[in-house]
Amino acid sequence: MLRRKFLTQSALGLNALSQLFGKGLPTHFPAKAKRVIYLFQSGGPSQLELFDYKPQLVKYANQNLPESIRKGQRLTGMSATQSSFPVIPSRFGFKQHGKNGTWVGDLIPHTASIVDDITIIRSLHTEAINHDPAVTFLLTGAQIAGRPSMGSWLSYGLGSEAENLPAFVVMISPGQGGGGQPLYDRLWGSGFLPSKYQGVKFRSVGDPVLYLSDPAGMTRDDRRAYLDTLNQLNEQQLTEFGDPEISTRISQYEMAFKMQASVPELTDLSKEPQSTFDLYGEDARKPGTFAANALLARRLAERGVRTIQLFHRDWDHHGGLQKGLPKRCQEVDQASAALIKDLKQRGMLDDTLVIWGGEFGRTVYCQGRLTADDYGRDHHPRCFSIWMAGGGIKPGLVWGETDDYSYNIVQDPLDCHDLQATILHCLGLDHTKLTYKFQGRNFRLTDVHGKVHKSLLT
Amino acid sequence: MRFLLCLLPATLFSADLSFNKDIRPILSEQCFHCHGPDNNNRKANLRLDIDNPRVKTADILGRVNHKNKALRMPPAYAGRDALPQQDIDKLKNWLAQGARYESHWAFIPPVKSPKATIDSLVESRLAQNNLQLSPEAAKTTLLRRLSFDLTGLPPTPAETQAFLNDNKPNAYEKQVDRLLASPRYAERMAWRWLEAARYSDTNGYQSDGVRDMYRWRDWVIEAFQNNKPFNQFVVEQLAGDLMPNATLDQHMATAFHRNHRTSAEGGIVPEEFRVEYVADRAETTSTVFLGLTMGCARCHDHKYDPITQKDFYSMFAFFNNLEEKGLVYNWGNDEPLIKAPTRDQQATLAQLDAKLAKAREAVQKAESRWQRDMTKWKAPDNWLPHHGLAYENALADSKFDGTRVVETKPTPVIYDYLSPFTFSAWIKPAEPTGAILSIAEDYAEGSGHGFYLRDGHIRLNVVFRWTDIGMRLETKSKINLNEWQHVVATYDGSRYAKGVRIYINGQPQEINVLFDELNWPMKFKHPLKIGAGNGMNYKGEIKLVRVYDRELSADEVTALAPTPSPAKLRLAYLDAIKPIEIANLLEAQRERDAFHKTIPTLMILREGPKRQAYLLKRGAYDAHGEPVEPATPSALPSMPSSYPQNRLGLAQWLTSKENPLLARVTVNRFWQMLYGIGIVKTVEDFGSQGEWPLHQDLLDTLAVDFVDSGWNVKQLLKQIVMSRTYRQSSRVTPDLLAKDPENRLFARAPRLRLSPEMIRDNALALSGLLVEKQGGPSVKPYQPTGLWQELSGGGGYPQDHGDALYRRSLYTFWKRTIAPPSMMNFDSPSREACTVRETRTNTPLQALNLMNDVTFLEASRKLAERILKESPSSGIDRAYEIVLNRKPTAKERELITQSLNRFEQRYKANPKEANQLLDQGEAPLPRKLNRPTLAAWTQISSLLLNLDETITRQ
Repeated sequence: MLRRKFLTQSALGLNALSQLFGKGLPTHFPAKAKRVIYLFQSGGPSQLELFDYKPQLVKYANQNLPESIRKGQRLTGMSATQSSFPVIPSRFGFKQHGKNGTWVGDLIPHTASIVDDITIIRSLHTEAINHDPAVTFLLTGAQIAGRPSMGSWLSYGLGSEAENLPAFVVMISPGQGGGGQPLYDRLWGSGFLPSKYQGVKFRSVGDPVLYLSDPAGMTRDDRRAYLDTLNQLNEQQLTEFGDPEISTRISQYEMAFKMQASVPELTDLSKEPQSTFDLYGEDARKPGTFAANALLARRLAERGVRTIQLFHRDWDHHGGLQKGLPKRCQEVDQASAALIKDLKQRGMLDDTLVIWGGEFGRTVYCQGRLTADDYGRDHHPRCFSIWMAGGGIKPGLVWGETDDYSYNIVQDPLDCHDLQATILHCLGLDHTKLTYKFQGRNFRLTDVHGKVHKSLLT
Repeated sequence: MRFLLCLLPATLFSADLSFNKDIRPILSEQCFHCHGPDNNNRKANLRLDIDNPRVKTADILGRVNHKNKALRMPPAYAGRDALPQQDIDKLKNWLAQGARYESHWAFIPPVKSPKATIDSLVESRLAQNNLQLSPEAAKTTLLRRLSFDLTGLPPTPAETQAFLNDNKPNAYEKQVDRLLASPRYAERMAWRWLEAARYSDTNGYQSDGVRDMYRWRDWVIEAFQNNKPFNQFVVEQLAGDLMPNATLDQHMATAFHRNHRTSAEGGIVPEEFRVEYVADRAETTSTVFLGLTMGCARCHDHKYDPITQKDFYSMFAFFNNLEEKGLVYNWGNDEPLIKAPTRDQQATLAQLDAKLAKAREAVQKAESRWQRDMTKWKAPDNWLPHHGLAYENALADSKFDGTRVVETKPTPVIYDYLSPFTFSAWIKPAEPTGAILSIAEDYAEGSGHGFYLRDGHIRLNVVFRWTDIGMRLETKSKINLNEWQHVVATYDGSRYAKGVRIYINGQPQEINVLFDELNWPMKFKHPLKIGAGNGMNYKGEIKLVRVYDRELSADEVTALAPTPSPAKLRLAYLDAIKPIEIANLLEAQRERDAFHKTIPTLMILREGPKRQAYLLKRGAYDAHGEPVEPATPSALPSMPSSYPQNRLGLAQWLTSKENPLLARVTVNRFWQMLYGIGIVKTVEDFGSQGEWPLHQDLLDTLAVDFVDSGWNVKQLLKQIVMSRTYRQSSRVTPDLLAKDPENRLFARAPRLRLSPEMIRDNALALSGLLVEKQGGPSVKPYQPTGLWQELSGGGGYPQDHGDALYRRSLYTFWKRTIAPPSMMNFDSPSREACTVRETRTNTPLQALNLMNDVTFLEASRKLAERILKESPSSGIDRAYEIVLNRKPTAKERELITQSLNRFEQRYKANPKEANQLLDQGEAPLPRKLNRPTLAAWTQISSLLLNLDETITRQ
């Protein structure tokens, strides 16, 4: 009763509230996808071992990368002064899978098993050659910090359909190698958009959401009684001052109270049947693993969360690729495929867009020492592979082609702004119309670029 | 906010048609994109931003009304809708009246309205809209408002009482003066400036290494405290180093433009990032001091404002000459930097320097006596320096045939990148390339320390990763083959090639620096090898290899030769007699060096040789266009040629009376600080796309007064807070809400949620936890565990203890990629880039933060202790006095009493839970208080800290 009174008193307060919780906004055109799950592989997984099969490389093994391929393109400071650039073929096998006989690396057998449900893009490319600018570019549309992240654009543009959960949730898993490139709050930050659109990090250690738990010695009843008093006191103030912000504040405390119940319910996997863990792997029982986060992603999707972004770290194989890459693959392969199968069996794949990939690819030439049991690859921005599935994306497609060295794209290039435009399109948004005026200019996720690649769409 | 603006009734605006007010916003928003200042992308050769004959002949009305969507302006293919009819009507009238142009309002110097005051200007505007000022706020409200606005902290009950008791006419003014004089004022003012200056304790890219800029932060505090005239404040920060006889403080001020983010990410192209830093300085300068968004012109001419791409790079050129690196140091400050001692440290250093000078004098005095005695002294055979000797191998068999390796495993010495050392050997090479001594991997381009012969040159390598992290240098001269020669390399541990000396036969050699990027810790344990390293085996002879843990002086290097020399004799003699003068000198030097090491450094601006600036095509660092020279934007009054054509000239130009922007932009930001919204709402944009000020007369009057006062910030703030406009009640009536939802007419005082730092500082102050100590290194108060690890691994957040937990938030360590979470929850900018606009949101995460963060729970407990201590019998009244500096209403008293009783009963029934609740934070818990009562009061205190009124300045 209390709440209804406030809402009628203040349409303004309601407006502010609806943008974060529980109220969708109209799309530009009918959307295929209602939500997006981005399985981000931070550090730059090698396309050469996973998706971009280059059998002919065996012929060129240990030879210097020809100038006709490199074409003087810039290299990172880490290999630019290297005295030679020996070509190194993948030391892991590839096999054909699915109806179309798509080549997939042996390191990711589970992904191979869903190849008919996903579209592999082998021709994504980026402008940046280092992690910070490259991840920032892919996820905010600009290399320099300050722009809103894709998820916050979606919250701004589409609002939320989750009742008691934020519209944009982020989860992070470290690679078990113990290292990996750092991540930055800006990757899910709201940039110049109001901060209510920023992604909320769900954590595996401590409170899943910062400050979610009441202190020890305080029960749910205590909190309820506390909030009843707080609300009444704030209501006194509202009567006195008439400021709509006060009624918004009261609603936000109520929402916080609901989150205190809904988030633990969400993260409690004890009621998931054994079949779930058979699907995602036993790792999914361990909080903080990629598998556990993938399972949570499905649970968040079921509850209407708009953007779910996972980050798995430690794909940066300058050296130690031969040992490190299989481990990373093992950590994410089964659960990534499981998520697709799970969404499909629940009838949710059609309206859930799933994306898997990193910020750039890796060089065909070896960086550092080349030995019988070790090699490494430097960052490679000119082509890299990702996959997409569900939510308006054609299944079973392989898009784009690179040259014999997986160095340059020879067919159907797709740049990061194109990817962003295409993602927004799946969600019913025209990337040229989703704008926010800041510093006198209408900003977009895709800046002044981006093209929707309709051939990728159903 | 967009929504709110649409609700502004048209009646707010005056009926006269003015180009700047009525027409320019339409043209700017709808037309300038293709018909504006950008020369390269103008369509139909029609320019609408300046007066020209085409405006009168073009069929503007026909096109905006065109039936065909493709021909209609603005065009549908650009995603634009047709103009609203009211805009078309305005354009029609304007064209009918002869299409008269005015210069953009902000580019015309401000003029003061004669005899006007803040109140007269606001009231006359209100009258036009049938409104009037609200009544003055209650005294308690007013004092709380004033205290937060001017000091960022709440008034104490005693301060409130004193103000209530003071019935003199100047009672309020006395409070204003008291608060402006408080040191807290300077800390409050510094916060905003830190946000504008993108101040942080870390670099901000990728692994986000630490830096030490707090001496600049303290400079800012001191400047506000001393009420440094704002024009000087600006000049010193932009160009203090270029001022005649610049003081240490003036050099320190220039750290303003070293606060931008910097990258230490391995593998970056350094020039790409160096350009980024310079561009950041140009953009920040224009945002903060000109209120212009020059960033747009980085890639092309500005679409809306008369700022060309050349203008951008001309501004860029002012900041292009630093001797700085694109790839910076990840573990502290990078060049150019200075030692920035505090005043206390300056005094101590002066004492130590005096002591050192005295010790030197004593040595000089003794020198003639030593010289005399030395001649009579019998020197031992071949004395050699022995202090710091870490490894020695005389090599009885000195022959190396190209396969022989003398290996010591494990290595006797492990050198980090900051470890000084000396390598010394006698060599008789048979071939011009080979490793003399190495503590390195034994293959080409491996890591580690190496002392090599390469094509006859003596080479020193210190390598973390060959391709991008390390130091490599060699002598210009070549060594002779098949001849014994003495070779020495010394390194001072500075991580720079300039800290290396190489000697051949005791003679210092000229050095070619091949690579100078030693910036990463290294703890390699490669074996020490003589005759091998980095895959280069040695042919010839080597003997008498010595390694020292320190940098030997030139005299000591000479002394390593077997031939007698005066320097060697002297060293040997002093080593034998060990005179007190030398011991004193060494001790004084050691003491001075040790203290000097503790003095913080500061990254500052320092002009290096001119680096030619270019227009960068598409903004790309490697796409040089025409060369450009430093110059101010062409659309603004030009910089007199009598000014120095450098940053100092730029700063003088900015602060000159002719500059129409600096005073306006500054006054507007201070207005925003007090009203939550600027007179020009777009505080960062006074250009064509910025908001046209409803109260330009007010803005201009304040700006002119500000300049006339000698840029006196305190006087300006006093002028504003003394006004009746400021002192109004912030009560929002339905009528006011309907007529002016955003409060742009100032018919009421704004009711503003406290900014993030104030929310925390307020809780600390009310609970008595606040530790007020000005300046010093940043501190690390509570933060949820694991936040740093989950994003970047490593050791995590090393939380401080004791006083450091309770300092004002101004001193909280700011890590840019993972900023303090409670600050971010309450809308703090991340400090990744210059931010001048204040924003406020209202979210459930804020509620959780205030209810459950240990910072606020501990403060609640301490506040409860305080209430019980100060007023055991009428706690509720006291609580309200402390938290809200007023008495509770009857209803409030009743609600709190009920809640208190409930919690008291509950915790009496369950004392264990009371103890759990009280176990928050590191502040000690007094033994004698009754736990259930304290727990109940802790809940009440938490409740009070969560009240909307508590986190609001109203």
